[in-house]
Amino acid sequence: MPAAPTTFDRPQRWDAAFDPKMTDADVDRLLDTPPFSNMRAENFPARLPLRDILKQDTSIRRYRQGELIVRQGDYGNSAFLVMSGNVRVVLRPGLPPSLLGRREPARKNVFRLLAQMWANRKEPESLQASELKGDKRIGARVGDGDEVKVFLQDVPRVLSEQKTDLIQRGELFGEIAALSRMARTATVFAESEEAELLEIRWQGLRDIMRYDDALRKQVDTIYRERALRSALRQVPIFRRLSDEALQEVIARTELSTYGDYDWSGEYKRLAQAAATGQRKQEPTIAEEGDYPNGVVLIRSGFARVSQKFGHGHRTLNYLGAGQFYGFEEIAHNWRNPASPLPLQYTLRVIGYAHVIVIPTTVMEKLVLPAVPKGDLPPLITPVESEIATAPSKDAAEKIGSEMLEFLTESRFFNGTATMVIDLERCTRCDDCVRACAAAHDNNPRFLRHGPSHGRIMIANACMHCVDPVCMIGCPTGAIHRGAFGGEVVINPVTCIGCKACFNNCPYEAIRMVEIRDESGAFLTDKELNPIIKATKCDLCVEQVGGPSCQRACPHGALARLNLNEIDVFANWLER
Amino acid sequence: MNSFVKQRWLGFSLFVVLSGTAIWLQARWFGTVLRLSYLTGWVLFAVILCLTLYNPRKKLPFLPLLSSEAWLQFHIYAGLLTGVLFAAHMSYRIPSGLFQTILACLYVLVMLSGFFGLFVSRALPKRLTARGGEVLFERIPAIRHALQDRAEALALKSIAEVKSATIADFYSRELRGFFEGQRNLGLHLLEVSSPVNRLLNRIKDLNRYLNQEEQVMLEQFAVLVRQKDGLDYHYALQLVLKTWLFVHIPLTYSLLLFTMVHIVLVFAFSGGAQ
Amino acid sequence: MKEQLPPPDFDANRYERPNQNWICGHASQGHPCRVGPDNKGRCRATFECQPLLELKEGQTIGRYRCTRSAQHGGPCDLGPLPDGTCRRPVPKCNPVRSLRARRGIVTMCVIVLTVAVLLIALSKPFRGRFISPGPLSAQHGTATFAAMAAAHPDRGGNACTACHQTETEGPNGWVRSAMGARPGPLQIRVLASAATPVMTSLDQKCLVCHSGHSFHQPNVAEAHSCSICHQEHHGPGPMSAPVDANCLSCHANSEAMETSLVRAKSLPAGAFDYRPEKGRVLFKAPRPERGYTKIIHSFASDHPEFQILAEKMKDADALKFNHQLHLTTVLLTSGKKMTCAECHKPDAAGVYHLKITYEQNCKNCHKLQFDVNNPDLPLPHGDAAHVRDFLRSLSAQYADFGANQKKIIARRELETFVQEQLKQVSQQSGDGEALERRVFFGDARNAPVARIGDRNAIGPAQFPGCAYCHMVSDSGKEIPQIAKPVIPDRWLIRGRFDHSKHFKVACITCHDAEHSRETSDVLLPSKSTCVKCHSPSGGVANNCSTCHGYHSPTREDRVLADKR
Repeated sequence: MPAAPTTFDRPQRWDAAFDPKMTDADVDRLLDTPPFSNMRAENFPARLPLRDILKQDTSIRRYRQGELIVRQGDYGNSAFLVMSGNVRVVLRPGLPPSLLGRREPARKNVFRLLAQMWANRKEPESLQASELKGDKRIGARVGDGDEVKVFLQDVPRVLSEQKTDLIQRGELFGEIAALSRMARTATVFAESEEAELLEIRWQGLRDIMRYDDALRKQVDTIYRERALRSALRQVPIFRRLSDEALQEVIARTELSTYGDYDWSGEYKRLAQAAATGQRKQEPTIAEEGDYPNGVVLIRSGFARVSQKFGHGHRTLNYLGAGQFYGFEEIAHNWRNPASPLPLQYTLRVIGYAHVIVIPTTVMEKLVLPAVPKGDLPPLITPVESEIATAPSKDAAEKIGSEMLEFLTESRFFNGTATMVIDLERCTRCDDCVRACAAAHDNNPRFLRHGPSHGRIMIANACMHCVDPVCMIGCPTGAIHRGAFGGEVVINPVTCIGCKACFNNCPYEAIRMVEIRDESGAFLTDKELNPIIKATKCDLCVEQVGGPSCQRACPHGALARLNLNEIDVFANWLER
Repeated sequence: MNSFVKQRWLGFSLFVVLSGTAIWLQARWFGTVLRLSYLTGWVLFAVILCLTLYNPRKKLPFLPLLSSEAWLQFHIYAGLLTGVLFAAHMSYRIPSGLFQTILACLYVLVMLSGFFGLFVSRALPKRLTARGGEVLFERIPAIRHALQDRAEALALKSIAEVKSATIADFYSRELRGFFEGQRNLGLHLLEVSSPVNRLLNRIKDLNRYLNQEEQVMLEQFAVLVRQKDGLDYHYALQLVLKTWLFVHIPLTYSLLLFTMVHIVLVFAFSGGAQ
Repeated sequence: MKEQLPPPDFDANRYERPNQNWICGHASQGHPCRVGPDNKGRCRATFECQPLLELKEGQTIGRYRCTRSAQHGGPCDLGPLPDGTCRRPVPKCNPVRSLRARRGIVTMCVIVLTVAVLLIALSKPFRGRFISPGPLSAQHGTATFAAMAAAHPDRGGNACTACHQTETEGPNGWVRSAMGARPGPLQIRVLASAATPVMTSLDQKCLVCHSGHSFHQPNVAEAHSCSICHQEHHGPGPMSAPVDANCLSCHANSEAMETSLVRAKSLPAGAFDYRPEKGRVLFKAPRPERGYTKIIHSFASDHPEFQILAEKMKDADALKFNHQLHLTTVLLTSGKKMTCAECHKPDAAGVYHLKITYEQNCKNCHKLQFDVNNPDLPLPHGDAAHVRDFLRSLSAQYADFGANQKKIIARRELETFVQEQLKQVSQQSGDGEALERRVFFGDARNAPVARIGDRNAIGPAQFPGCAYCHMVSDSGKEIPQIAKPVIPDRWLIRGRFDHSKHFKVACITCHDAEHSRETSDVLLPSKSTCVKCHSPSGGVANNCSTCHGYHSPTREDRVLADKR
């Protein structure tokens, strides 16, 4: 059906503008300020005009003195552009955690551990008022739009204690974190009485970068210089490269982001609509049978590895951050130039993926010669018939493709501590829930129920995702990554119960609870609204010996597994 | 199930070795070691005390005291060992005297309930999983209530929509009782599904006399009946999984009390009592 | 039919709290109230919200606002009543206990029940019957025994206190006794040791009635505990015999054997001489040099050979008897050969045999007919003096004989008869002293009648002289000395034997009489003969107590006679 000429193919995300209050006047104002004033509208396609991007994907935010704009360690979806006022970034030594709304969970000492035998509170979710007192050095106020903003009480003091840097008018910050879903590297707060910033959500930034060379170069350079270098050095095959070679690799690497960062919303919608059957078209990064253009290294997000089977595709694996695709084929072709092989599998995005592609020529010229022969992957023997057993990973065989589908469709591979319950061993005794409660003042922090497939149930317990969508948008910084590892914890002192994390979490791992005092009466604020806080599993960071649930299962039915790589799960299935 | 098989081999071989040692020592020392039954009795008591420590350990899950799985494996195989020690302690004779018979019966009951518990712990979860419809035991009454409401509502709706009372009559005659409360608890445990099959057959029989609209509605009833049956099945099996300990644990306390009296009696009436 | 069902819907926003003891009563309907019951199970539901009084600026009377949270539906339509009461009270429920709390109640009830049962069962009226570990043996289980125990000056009460003084004390006393017992509950090493069981305080009670029980042998190192061998409470009926292990606790214990050997050396030999002799003739084998301290483990394996046979002892009896002759060559008057049973007849109990006497066993064949022509006139047997008197009064004897036996009444005939007999006797054997000598000292060699009849003839044996069977020697006086035969009738005196139990076994299996020609032959079976049956392979009882007893018999009568 031919579309009417005046309707263009709009990005679906524009059905919900980032900030509905953006007016055309605001957009005009933006277009007059750099860097937008330097952009040429004709570079942008009719589908994505710069005006519309600015209108749909940006928001003008006003901050008062001391208000925190981003916190170090938070996850965010947006980049910020300073429009007016003074904005400072904290460099060294960094604000103490309590100023960022966090509480460093310390392991309980022996006495406090033992005291849990008798000192656990009898009333559910009860806290003493004294436990709710936060750091006096920060305060909270309600900003425009009913948003809660946290501010530093004593800005001069902070300035004197920390080494800070001024972010100039027109400077962009937070773009790498937004584009690559990494944590914010530094805290930024408003210094002057009033500061005005433009918040650009990452899709908008990406689209602008696509069509504006200047911005792209700028972001690209920063990204390559800061983020890419250290990331590549961590990868074994690049470790032995000389600095010059690495420089060239960095220069020639292509960066791409696929899919949708806001996949949590999408996923929830999908889940509620009980979408089954046809898999929604996921963007393909590389196709089976194509010439291997380069090695795809996943920096964040997930991608599905599948192979043609019958009339469909069979999922063999999923790859997460730090994993490769295409390396085996390129290494094989480099050693057997006479009989080159195409890509053996298809790589598709699940949700979103931020990848870097190192071109084949770079690999052959610079990287592969530097890798010792023993570290190269074995040569591939191509299999003729598609019915014969594909050279899939053993782990995928052990898990079975239906189970793999179940895991990938529901995005469970995101978790580093997913609670997996083997229903054929579980006697439903609830010892795990009791153990969790005993470790948390008689309050269980998970529900022994969740989606299941065959004999495996993924319970509604925080999976401590490698991509924590829950952490996006917390106004007070209460939800953060703990110091001990990758676990995500919520600080009940600073949590204001805004439900941002609760709504974001696609796995129903977070539950809101009404806080009581020790007698069991509900605590209320001045308006007699009950005080609610978000709660979830914290992997028993304060306890000794790891998560209590796993240790408490008498039948070995429960495990907290890192599903980022399927080997762990495959081995556990056959334990 | 590699690690489970390994666990079993380890536990079983330890059990065989220890019980073989116990039996051999008892045979060798019978008659020569003066108060052999005192010795075997103390060993038996020590092992039983270790077994009972499992309960306090479960109440301290936050202390790093070895996983509950390891404790359970110890509990199972040490429990088997107490069987052998018990027989050796009694020199393989039937007990005589009222007190000692009661004590032996208590021990046997605890042992048998333990076997039962082990059996249901391994057998019932598989059945529950195969049936599907995973549900939390404490929520079952609420869900059952909701199902009952839905069935009632459907029955009432049927009168309004299809303008005939056939289905509603059928519901009040055959189905209403089925939706009230837990049904067929024992039969579910025995994997007998004839009651629900009978109901579904009756529903199928009724189908013949209904028009298109009514058939659609009746199909919804069939769905509800199957859901209710699944709920009952879960309730029955999960109830057994939760209540077998109602026998095992209280009897253990009784056994411990009787054992302590037994120890006092044995020494107070022994040859050396002053 | 079974099918995979999808999970049912429920509100997943609430945690499930299995650790709480009380659950809101409305939970079974699906709508548990927000606040939940308190720890004691009381419903705390009041109203759905707590209305807030809002006073706007300049107002004196404010309005109440519903403060129900968004989670529970947001502010209600009608709002609170003007006086500030919420319009929507939550109906009170009956809180129910969680399943775990119910388990706790059941456990507590069972504990209380057990304690109650124990308290009742251990109270005075039921105590004895409750704690008794088994019926008493036939000896101690009778009312007589109970009466005796009650009547004894030291005891008051019942049969239990005859042995267990703690029985009357009740549970408190039992705990004290238990802690004070020797060996006590915590002396595990003593319990596990394999030392010889010594007398305990319980055993001292046995001696109250069973006084005078000797303890085995005088050289026993330590008195063995009574109760270890004689186990009570093992069922009605007679007490079971001690097991081998009881005996072997000393007799397989080299330390105990050494100690008793040393002790024996310091005791006089007479201390060991305690076997009763009333009415019995014991073959007193002398006590071996090392006593009976050889280490023994079982009868079949290393029980020593019977001392008589091992030391090749001989029967020193003074009667000449040839078993072989009597069993093979000699024929009875019926024409048959003699059997063992002809002479050896079992006594009333059947355990042993009646003593061998001349009157019972020999007289029928061995008449003392000194006169060939008057075989019906034998010499008196038993006392040499009587024989001499007889011989010196021969004429009177003949006269009596003629008158009573031959019925010769006339005086003249009688005198003739007597003269005739006297004449032919002196022709046979001489007269006067020669006759006497012939009678006393005649044996197979020097008697005038050298042969004892025809071997094949049927009839009583001829009588060559006393010395044919007896040891006759000149004493220097008129009457020669005839050694009195002493036939032992108890040979293996350190054990028991019951012939009646061996009725299936032929005599010659154990007693090799057919090859015995000398009196000095001891015709007892060797141990190996017994072992053929009395061994694990033979299948017959082979415990120590089958043949041996522990308590040695004393010279005096015991208080309780041995009823065996």
